[in-house]
Amino acid sequence: MKIIAARKLLKANDQLAEENRARLDAAGVFCVNVVGSPGAGKTTLLEALFATVAGRVKPAVIEGDIAGSLDAERIAKLGVPVVQINTEGACHLDANMIAAALGSLDYDAVDVLFIENVGNLVCTAGFDLGEHLRIVVLSTSEGDDKAAKYPAIFQGSDALVITKADLLPHTNFNADRITADMKRLAPNAEIFQVAALRGDGIVATADWLVQKLSSGR
Amino acid sequence: MTPLAASPKNMHELSIAEALIGQVEEEVERSGQTGRITHLDVTVGRLSGVSCDSLRFAFELLAPNTLVEGAKLNITEPVAKCRCHHCKSLTEIDDLIMECPKCSSREISIEGGRDLLLQSIELED
Repeated sequence: MKIIAARKLLKANDQLAEENRARLDAAGVFCVNVVGSPGAGKTTLLEALFATVAGRVKPAVIEGDIAGSLDAERIAKLGVPVVQINTEGACHLDANMIAAALGSLDYDAVDVLFIENVGNLVCTAGFDLGEHLRIVVLSTSEGDDKAAKYPAIFQGSDALVITKADLLPHTNFNADRITADMKRLAPNAEIFQVAALRGDGIVATADWLVQKLSSGR
Repeated sequence: MTPLAASPKNMHELSIAEALIGQVEEEVERSGQTGRITHLDVTVGRLSGVSCDSLRFAFELLAPNTLVEGAKLNITEPVAKCRCHHCKSLTEIDDLIMECPKCSSREISIEGGRDLLLQSIELED
């Protein structure tokens, strides 16, 4: 006896992701999935963006971490609502975890929800969370070959934010190389260079996000 | 801040194996069959981002006390192809690449190799 199934294995996640997106749409919340390696500067970028968009948008954050709540504490200090997901070892967030976290958000107080994914350039690529936009964060110290080495995560992203641009003189990072690779993998993606601790490039990134938010709803 | 604990999983393939077992259970229940499951046919494309060794390991870890306990996992791994618009070649590839392996042109498209499917379930009558 043979049962022919021919089912996609990630279908369960994709279905839940669509449900999350529908829920967010109904609530008028624009959702951004922020991915990148550990130490790329995802939290620092969010901190800088929040300072810049203060008064213009009402952000909230879902923090995905393997353990602890260090990043969530940093976000909470800014007065931004934050939900911590501890994946207890899992290398990525999935749509089911986001569905659970969405339940504890006050939708009226939020118009843009950032999901800071687990630091990982590999596994996070395979899981749609129900976001409207995905941003990949890459620091100059990680090297300009990362899009070529981890194409999937770059290919599915709507923007590349190159962080720690103030370190460029001290590295062999070639912005032209990563730009060419990104244009090849994701021709429509925006590319930003920022130095979040100094504020360089943050206004341009924030303006783009606000514009996406107003056209996406 | 609201703390929230997810269910413990510790790698990518573990959640894939979990989804696989859940889908097998759904399909078998829907079919009304009660025989022991002997084989599962699964497709894991070379570009799907899933390691077959890790998937097998995760499957063996999760199978005990489920319907798939003792079932054999048959994995087929379809290759992907790189179609070059410059030299018109079609090359089999194992990894996502940036340029044509033949002429190094970047005018390429990658075809196939991304499937991650539960194809069929074989049961004793």
